[in-house]
Amino acid sequence: MHLLLIGISHRTAPVDLRERVDFAARGIPATLESLTSRRSTQEAIVISTCNRAEIYVACDDPVATRRDLASFISDFHGVALSDIAPHIYDLEDLAAARHLFRVAAGLDSLVVGEPQILGQVKEAHAAATAAQTAGPLLNRVFHASFAAGKRVRTETALGSGAVSIGYAAVSLARKIFGELSGRTVVVVGAGEMGKLTALHMKSQGVHHVTIVSRTMAHAARSAEAIGGASAAPWDELDSVLAASDILITATGAPAPILTKAHIESVMRPRRNQPLFIIDIAMPRDVEPAAGEIEQVFLYNIDDLRATVRENLSRRENEVARAEAIVSEETDRFAVWFRSRGAVPTIVALRQRFETIRRAELDRLDFKLAALPPEARARVDEITHLIVEKLLLAPTEQLKAAGDADIVAVYAEALNRLFVLGEGEAPMSDARRVEPFTRHRQRPQR
Amino acid sequence: MNLAPLVLYAAAFVAYAWHFARRNAIVGRTATTLLVFAALAHTFVIGMQTMEIGHVPVAGPASAISTFVWLLGLAYLYTEMTTDERAMGVFILPLLVALQSIPALRPGVEDRAAVLQGPLFGVHVSSLLFAYASFALACVIGVTYVLLFKEIKAKHLGFFYARLPSLQVLDRMNQVAVVVGWIFLTIGIAAGTLWAAQARGGYGLDPRVQRMSLQDPKIFVALICWVVYSFELFAARRIGWGGRRAAYLSALGFAIVLLNFVPISYFSTNSHSF
Repeated sequence: MHLLLIGISHRTAPVDLRERVDFAARGIPATLESLTSRRSTQEAIVISTCNRAEIYVACDDPVATRRDLASFISDFHGVALSDIAPHIYDLEDLAAARHLFRVAAGLDSLVVGEPQILGQVKEAHAAATAAQTAGPLLNRVFHASFAAGKRVRTETALGSGAVSIGYAAVSLARKIFGELSGRTVVVVGAGEMGKLTALHMKSQGVHHVTIVSRTMAHAARSAEAIGGASAAPWDELDSVLAASDILITATGAPAPILTKAHIESVMRPRRNQPLFIIDIAMPRDVEPAAGEIEQVFLYNIDDLRATVRENLSRRENEVARAEAIVSEETDRFAVWFRSRGAVPTIVALRQRFETIRRAELDRLDFKLAALPPEARARVDEITHLIVEKLLLAPTEQLKAAGDADIVAVYAEALNRLFVLGEGEAPMSDARRVEPFTRHRQRPQR
Repeated sequence: MNLAPLVLYAAAFVAYAWHFARRNAIVGRTATTLLVFAALAHTFVIGMQTMEIGHVPVAGPASAISTFVWLLGLAYLYTEMTTDERAMGVFILPLLVALQSIPALRPGVEDRAAVLQGPLFGVHVSSLLFAYASFALACVIGVTYVLLFKEIKAKHLGFFYARLPSLQVLDRMNQVAVVVGWIFLTIGIAAGTLWAAQARGGYGLDPRVQRMSLQDPKIFVALICWVVYSFELFAARRIGWGGRRAAYLSALGFAIVLLNFVPISYFSTNSHSF
């Protein structure tokens, strides 16, 4: 059984192509159902985000399955295979596992370390569990990816620091005010940028948003668009400011509309309560000198961009540590993954022993016939226990072998010594050994 | 005997510093556990000394410092548990270690002078020690406020930005610590004044009791403290001196407290040299 991944992501395909193969838009349950109705896959999980569409499957024949999955994507979305083929990547076994761990850790994201991806990987697994398309192999590798993602999040600073202007503003507001729930925001200017920032603040739980604009009708329209916000006329700006904690300015004015002296005058009725000013207008709406006032924290769009850049470069420094964690988790998974190769041999060995035990009991049946039923049951039990004890150590040794080459050597030896390939063994010799030899030939990526 | 808590405080400091730098949750819990053990060991030491001499050891400077460290450790642990905020530990612990090294290196319990009797004396000393512990917390919180304030103002969001709670939370914690400290400082000074008036009647011959007036440096500086903290509370409520100015005042106030508590107690005072 092989782990196979086939996908398209922001690294290989432009956004218009990614949009055309969006599984989430068509419904993940429908995708999984359609996927498993094709005979090539036994287990399947689909990760679909705006930056990636990836299918993870467990299969016996990776080469054929790869071809089948590519045509599945083409059929399912009605996109010509020749259009998507150059953008598709595929990985097998441990390389696929490592890729999944990197995805869950946020290392493969467009914005490195972004926090949503781990939740999206978990959702993908939950959807597959609900649709009963996740089996032992995919369950194992996905749970390992959750562990890798969690370790990267707690042990490195890969996900720390805001990396978008909106989040940088919210994170600053939280550092100044703590909880935003009781805070009031005033937006000066009824333009799109101001509205978006206000919406963002609103979604972070601020108490109230007031829009102030030179044209009252524009302010009212903006307030309505935000929902639950109110509008105020221009000449009430000072009184609104006196009662607000956060000021967002986003007008198209050619010169600063708020001078240092003006801000100073509103600080007095505020009794010097902190005022956080976010000036996202270009050119600036607030005189830079206003930032010198004791309890005024003034950030313009360039300052916010600079903190975002700083956070991004700090994340870059954490990448090496995160990659090391991913490698550790991949190695841990590899031990389990390779020991799986021993399972058919273990099963065959057990069946062989059990068959011999049954045969001997049958052969001696006439001698045992004289015994009372309890004694015969006891004989059955004792022989069973002896077989179990004899098999215990070899089973454990095989599972612990780890390295695929060693497992293959052990399996080969057991096959010959116990003649497992013949008659009662469940699989033919050739088929059982094949995965190991193939594994050895293929260099790991 | 004061050595065991000192070693544990020092170990806790190392753990808090490590936790502050690396933000590892397990190290953080270890730091708190070590501090809890230090406080327990210290409680045991103070308990033993209390049994030995029949009262809480607060009469001499070294014992008073030990008891102060013990109270500050407990006050910090209480703050940490109620706010779930461990970042302050790295600032408090050096103070605990430095102060605790005084009683640890000057072992033994000073005997209480016969004159130091009565419930008012107990109220006087314990209130002041508790007030000083509160002021120590306020000072540390104030220092962290200023560190964070400067990072945000300078638009360089770095080390402290990632580790400290919000300015608002720090400001509120500072206010609470100062209010609590001010109340106990007031009670302590009032109790001391009343006690001195009584003592003049009973032990009028002790020269130290005679010298208990505003001319004594210890008493004078204690009153300066009271004025500084009263101004901080007034300014925060009436003229909007919250935030950074309050933080500076907390630091200034505690600098005076420390001055009064260690050098003046040992070298300058004529009235409080018991």
